[in-house]
Amino acid sequence: MTNDRIDLDTLRRGAQLAGFAWSDTELEEIRPQVEAALRMLRTLETVDVGGAEPTTHYRTV
Amino acid sequence: MTELTRMIATKAVSPVEVVRAHLDRIAALDQGLRSFITVCADAAMDAARTAEAAVVAGRPVGPLHGVPYALKDLYDTAGVRTTGGSRIFADRVPAADATVVRRLAEAGAIVLGKLNMVEFAYGPEGLNPHYGHARNPWDAATHRMAGGSSSGSGVAVAAGLTPGALGSDTGGSIRIPASLCGITGLKPTYGRVSRAGVLPLAWSMDHVGPMTRTVADSALMLGAIAGYDPADPSTSVLPVPNYLAALTGNLKGLRVGLLRSFFLDGAAPVVRAAVEAAAATLAGAGAVVDEVTLERVDLAGAGSLAVVGAEALAYHAELLRTRAAEYDPDVARRLRVSAFISGLHYVRAQQVRALVRDEVDAALARRDVLLAPSTPIVAPAVGERQATLGDGPVDVRSALLRFTRPFNFSGHPACAVPCGFTEGGLPIGMQLVGRPFDEATVLRAADAFQRLTDFHTRRPVV
Repeated sequence: MTNDRIDLDTLRRGAQLAGFAWSDTELEEIRPQVEAALRMLRTLETVDVGGAEPTTHYRTV
Repeated sequence: MTELTRMIATKAVSPVEVVRAHLDRIAALDQGLRSFITVCADAAMDAARTAEAAVVAGRPVGPLHGVPYALKDLYDTAGVRTTGGSRIFADRVPAADATVVRRLAEAGAIVLGKLNMVEFAYGPEGLNPHYGHARNPWDAATHRMAGGSSSGSGVAVAAGLTPGALGSDTGGSIRIPASLCGITGLKPTYGRVSRAGVLPLAWSMDHVGPMTRTVADSALMLGAIAGYDPADPSTSVLPVPNYLAALTGNLKGLRVGLLRSFFLDGAAPVVRAAVEAAAATLAGAGAVVDEVTLERVDLAGAGSLAVVGAEALAYHAELLRTRAAEYDPDVARRLRVSAFISGLHYVRAQQVRALVRDEVDAALARRDVLLAPSTPIVAPAVGERQATLGDGPVDVRSALLRFTRPFNFSGHPACAVPCGFTEGGLPIGMQLVGRPFDEATVLRAADAFQRLTDFHTRRPVV
């Protein structure tokens, strides 16, 4: 899923892997948003995170 | 609320009179404003009579004794339905109060009712097709967005239906309606206030906080709800300071970092001018203002998408499989999109989160607070999907979240206060961001600003 365009088969497989049985109509409806979301998420892959460990929230004491 | 507390304690006014006046106002105005989902009139009057008896008998009372407030309808309330703004939970009646509800009751506060919100807190516009779109009270002619997701909290406080409210903030859901409705809203540090008994949107981004007319009122409410809670392992054991005592009005030497790049540069001219004027006001009272840039803050959008999307879907997966037709179609669509966020995206977002957090920490190492607009635009009309900024049209939803979510991502405390009005009379908001667990300084700066200005005293005509 590295191209901007996502085909219906890819959407079906993705939904199925996540455990959802959505209709083709439901998947077509979200296709533009999935494409936009994946474009946005790809910017995270361009960041040099170095050795940063993932954090889920602010350091609490 | 601070004033009501004093008046009740000195018997200048009775809790019964105060609660009745607010219930009357709700009955008269909320049909049009749509800020409440459930009004607890009988229980509130019972509590007010009990509170009145305690004052008359001279019994010791809490810091919010007899003062009414209302809650966003995602806080569990024992015996009172908690819908999360959804039809799916229309009949959900919790057996116990959320920790913060219990703490406010122990402080003497009285619940007026449960407030409208975006379904499951998933959206910044403040719209809800199930319980009606809350109406921003600042424009009688046009139905404008209240901002969300704590839309009812923003409207009810602005319109004087309640002196204070609880909201929750995952990407700006306290500060956005505070900005659009012209009130004060505080998102405390992640871990400062318990989330136990609060319906989650995204566990690692959700923050609980007050929405009030003044900073002093938010300080009063924060003092009552903050602190360690064994029921929420993310809460800190750090002691809770006296936030009211921190409100000295003194700005001399306070170091303020004005966030120009991304923030001021990305705001509508009228918003930029108001925040620049606010910076000048702070400087005029002795604050030392310089400009600071957060280079990585634009990553908070993608990072939040991954974190909020993945966590929200994890909470909703089963309901989405079994009761999808009952969701607001817009919320259901956003949840479905989240199925395509990978584990790699989620973890990478949490790594980026550490970088953003460290960058905000670094900016605050030599400054006491950061200053930025709360939202780049003022309240759009309901149905408006695009707004115009310097570079051209922008999506309203993205624009509303743009300046607030970086500090959900980083976890830093941020207080939104009104800092101006457009020529058409719509409020403009700014936010002051502080060091982790240093809400006292954030509140001191915001309160001092309110002592120097009158934006927070203006009321919409409803």
